[in-house]
Amino acid sequence: MNDPTTRVLLIEDNPGDVDLVRLRLVESLPNLEVDCVQRLSDALASLERETPTLVLLDLNLPDSRGAETFRRVREKAPQVPVVVLSGQADEALALKAVHQGVQDYLIKGDFSGKRLEQAMRYAIERQSLARSLDMSRKQQLEFKNQFLSHVSHELRTPLTCIHQYVTLLLDGLAGPLAPEQGDHLKTVLKSVNQLHAMIRDLLEATRAESGKLRVEPRCISLAKLVEQAYAMMKPTAHAKQVGLELGLDQRIPLVYADPDRILEVLINLMDNAIKFTPADGAVTIKACMQQTDPNVVYVSVCDTGRGIGPEAKSLIFERLYQDPDSVDNNRSGLGLGLFICRELIRLHQGTITVASEVGQGSTFTFTVPVYSLAKLLLPVVTYRGALRQAFVLVEVELKPVSRRPMGNWKEICETCLETLRRCVYLDKDLVLPPMGSSGTSETFFVVASTDMQRSGIMTTRIREQLQRVANLEGAASLTITTCPVDLSPISPQSSVEQQVEQVADCVSGMVLQRLGSEPGEQARQKPKQQRNNEVPRRRK
Amino acid sequence: MTKHKILVVDDDADLVRALRLRLRANDFDIATAGDGYAAIAAAQKEHPDLIILDLGLPAGDGFVVLERLQNNDTLSAVPVIVLSARDPQANEARALKAGAAAYFQKPADNDELLNVIQTSLMETVVKLPS
Repeated sequence: MNDPTTRVLLIEDNPGDVDLVRLRLVESLPNLEVDCVQRLSDALASLERETPTLVLLDLNLPDSRGAETFRRVREKAPQVPVVVLSGQADEALALKAVHQGVQDYLIKGDFSGKRLEQAMRYAIERQSLARSLDMSRKQQLEFKNQFLSHVSHELRTPLTCIHQYVTLLLDGLAGPLAPEQGDHLKTVLKSVNQLHAMIRDLLEATRAESGKLRVEPRCISLAKLVEQAYAMMKPTAHAKQVGLELGLDQRIPLVYADPDRILEVLINLMDNAIKFTPADGAVTIKACMQQTDPNVVYVSVCDTGRGIGPEAKSLIFERLYQDPDSVDNNRSGLGLGLFICRELIRLHQGTITVASEVGQGSTFTFTVPVYSLAKLLLPVVTYRGALRQAFVLVEVELKPVSRRPMGNWKEICETCLETLRRCVYLDKDLVLPPMGSSGTSETFFVVASTDMQRSGIMTTRIREQLQRVANLEGAASLTITTCPVDLSPISPQSSVEQQVEQVADCVSGMVLQRLGSEPGEQARQKPKQQRNNEVPRRRK
Repeated sequence: MTKHKILVVDDDADLVRALRLRLRANDFDIATAGDGYAAIAAAQKEHPDLIILDLGLPAGDGFVVLERLQNNDTLSAVPVIVLSARDPQANEARALKAGAAAYFQKPADNDELLNVIQTSLMETVVKLPS
């Protein structure tokens, strides 16, 4: 405090009080520099310019009163210690101030110069202590996360070795095995796979905690994804003699979601459901629309297991939660699965909930946002408040010429999409966001405000431009098809918004039909049967 | 038809031994290298048809190897499959950009790995510039 550079910002509007405080400060601290402002706005401006050693703050200023005053000062300069000098002895307000990080609360006229000097000195000390605690907490968290991510990486190396040798033996590559030996090795492999899944969850949870979990939403067919998850889990359910049923609404709209991540959530929920359902029970996976919210699709996984008690229900999505009654709790995992699910659904702006009663089974339901084509279409399909005359849907399909996996395929597709965007008129044509086929071929769609007759000019332009894209020649084959959008069901009486909705419905119907009409493609994407409970991993 | 030759680059000798056994059983010839420097030397000497490459390597890590392979006229056409314990979120895109044909995180599924090896070898198309 005797440091001559110690500078105090006194925020006080009453000239008498200013003099009093100055007098007391000078009396005990002659080297102190005191700046005085009368309004909160001036104080905030001053804090913006430079950082004082300490702030002395009156709460009732011409432009701010009470709790609001210290809230704003703290917000502006969280690192500066604040001592409130109040005219009123209000214990509740004082407590509130301390909760918000104010270091002390003194009543005017109630303290000597010595007492004020002490209060200021302690305030500075406490503030610096709080700061270093906060920093070390952050450092520890960062250190913990780095450590976990390092550990999960290091654990993989010996695990890979175990995995390799066990599969070598199991596949008979080191000589024939007696049946019993084979059975034992299968048990080893099962445990290896469980360990693998745990390591992965550990890394995912660490990412979720440090905000590094990412999703890449695209416009995808949820129905296809649900079917894929169903096919992947069928063997697991079958092995446990649990029935697996699929209930898909006839017309699920396209959704805006990350296919890999939603699949991960689905698999996780289904795996849990099967795990907690006894033999001869059933697990049902459903996707449907509900009238309560047309902007989301509800996906639910319902089992006939033993259900979840009310207490567990409120905790089940928390990190590290373990069901205390779990029958086979020696193998219940890390308790991270549902936490990761919740974080992934959150990143999709969705919600995940559970409905359950003990003995009645459980239903986990999550929402996935519907991809709203109408919102995107509105500005391009209307002109001066009315629907344009005619539209066509242009489908641009890229198929790699070679079957060899190409590292730069994704890049080629991105370049093509960019080029495609440059080929259209932004005010009347729309290149739809990429569709979800994560397989090898890629399809782009353009809704163009033109008729079939005139669309030829556009498709020629697209073809020329895309063929010019470096790498495309020889790398991919290009197919362009054009289809008129049928406007006959659109009623001229309805509002323009409704008309756009109808056009959007029609277009998404066409897109869905296109994407669904590729049985070959779908078959290729269907994952093959996983070995022995092997945790499904993301497909490359 | 002559056997395809695969160069396995990994500093974990035990893993290399297991991969050698598995790949031999699938009718491949195998060459191996335990570090980045040896990887380049082996690639030039052995003329492999495909390379399986770890990323965390002594004497020049996997990315250095990828870069040197890409800058070599004869070797840039050899497909490289990365097989690493490293997190794909941080490394996959970078590896593919550097010229790898595929990225597998350890432990990888054997069938999937063999599938990608087969499809990569089946193609005689000259590797595209990336």
